[in-house]
Amino acid sequence: MLSSWTFYISTLVVYFGVDLLSGISLNLQYGYAGVINFGYIVFQAAGAYAAAVVTLGPSGGAGSFQKYIFGANLPFPLPLLVATAAGAILAGFVGLFSLRRIRRDYQAAVLLIVSLIAIQVVQADIPLFNGSNGLTGVPRPLVNVLPLSLQGYQWAYAGWVLLLCALVYLLVRWLSRSPWGRALRAMRDQEDAAVAIGLNVTALRLQVFVIGGAIAGLSGGLLVEFIGAWSPDAWGYAETFVIFTAIFVGGVRNYRGVLLGVLLVPIIFLQLPQFLPPIGYPGLVQSLEWVIIGVLWMLCLLLRPSGLLPERRAKALPDLSGRVA
Amino acid sequence: MNEPGQEPIPGPGPAAALRDAPVPALSARGVVVSYGGVRAVDGLSLDAFGGEALGLIGPNGAGKSSFLAALGGQARIREGSISLAGEDVSRLPAYGRARRGVVRTFQMTSEFSGMTTFENLLTAGHGAQGAALGAIVAHPRRSRQRDQAVAQRAWEVLKRFDLVGIADSYGSELSGGQRRLVEIMRCLMRSPKVLLLDEPMVGVAPHLVDKLMVDLKSIRDDGIALIIVEHALEVVSELCDRVVVMALGRSIAAGTYAEVVKDREVQAAYLG
Repeated sequence: MLSSWTFYISTLVVYFGVDLLSGISLNLQYGYAGVINFGYIVFQAAGAYAAAVVTLGPSGGAGSFQKYIFGANLPFPLPLLVATAAGAILAGFVGLFSLRRIRRDYQAAVLLIVSLIAIQVVQADIPLFNGSNGLTGVPRPLVNVLPLSLQGYQWAYAGWVLLLCALVYLLVRWLSRSPWGRALRAMRDQEDAAVAIGLNVTALRLQVFVIGGAIAGLSGGLLVEFIGAWSPDAWGYAETFVIFTAIFVGGVRNYRGVLLGVLLVPIIFLQLPQFLPPIGYPGLVQSLEWVIIGVLWMLCLLLRPSGLLPERRAKALPDLSGRVA
Repeated sequence: MNEPGQEPIPGPGPAAALRDAPVPALSARGVVVSYGGVRAVDGLSLDAFGGEALGLIGPNGAGKSSFLAALGGQARIREGSISLAGEDVSRLPAYGRARRGVVRTFQMTSEFSGMTTFENLLTAGHGAQGAALGAIVAHPRRSRQRDQAVAQRAWEVLKRFDLVGIADSYGSELSGGQRRLVEIMRCLMRSPKVLLLDEPMVGVAPHLVDKLMVDLKSIRDDGIALIIVEHALEVVSELCDRVVVMALGRSIAAGTYAEVVKDREVQAAYLG
């Protein structure tokens, strides 16, 4: 009993880390730059598929039951680097045509459509990533090298994910507070005025999109190496809205708010239906997850539009002109 | 009357000797801006010199704001050219012109509402160069030092406008007049050569209009060329060294304020 709970909680910690990376990425893109990336999950999926295929070995080998491209046997941690690069490259490509000077709501619509198209392509083109069946049997990194029990490995992997989260968190927070982060906020608040002070908003949007895509790719790589499988069922467009709900509830533009939102929404609230007894027709309890998402979003908009932890006011840098040298 | 391709509207005679630069800070030749089949600006030419305030007046729909947008790069010009200190910038995007010293305010105040006044100024002070991601990542220390230097300049500008008290206020918390001043201070942080002002007095409380006027005069006296679109004629008469009157996308008169108001064509354009 105790071990199953330990297994469950360590799994939740990994999911929390993966979702936190997603929250950080979307907060940077939406909270700071005003880019509404409704296609976020595609970039996570790109990272997951990339990490999977470069870990699984060449496709079509003896006993192989799945087809995919770019098969390789890269050692840890190279698959994560490939995943990060895959997310960034795909984001750069999508960003080049979707982030031109069109209105933000149209950009959001374009990205949502990209998300829908991507899943159809992957399902239909079986040689790409094994179609709807997806990829399975992705080996866990260093599982045969580390002298750990299953539970020990679970916690070690959770620690690894949290370590990467901390690094990404610190890096993105530093960038957000830099002049580059201020330029993003200026673009978010008044695009024309940002241009009028010399900022190339298309380039800024592309930069933030690629950085967000890289983080998304990393999160996908970490997830697939943990769960060992990835298929189109794992990256429906609705998954993006779970993370959006998390950052809205926690507090857009505040990284502590993002952390709180990710802890509350995908980890605590969305786990609650798991503990309900089976009621009604099969699948009813699971579908309550989406009811919870909708209710949380509405409550947030009505009661705390800035989230539980709103953006913090930046204090002016000190005036040093009066100081004696 | 200034036909397309015609000689540009001349600057003031005696004052020309006092100008710092012989080359106009900004020069427009035969500028045409059209929306669909409508020519909002129809072949306008003018020169603006450093240290002078040039007023653009005219009835609604005359094309003043479109012309300002053409100068700033927000509107694409169909014909003609725009040059800055002799350099043709007609094909440069708006951000490129801003980097060369043409900055502007908008008819609707455009402060960065989710940022404090101080951050508004810092962002403008850094511009594209200071906000370059590569430079920040490659040289974080240099970036911090630059941030400190820009912050000092922001304090100087706040003191000059007597607005130190709103340094930590969000743009959304400011009055209409304060927002205007934030916009203008933001422009000054760019060390501009040409400042385009689109109806700077709109939404400004009467007691702040005088202050804003004094501030604009002092900016002009710093050697910056001001091009001002304004409906409040008393502001134009007080502030502008020269005035260009527009109607239906064209210039119908130019000269000092006292000269143009006597012009029959101007009176007809205003009174119908």
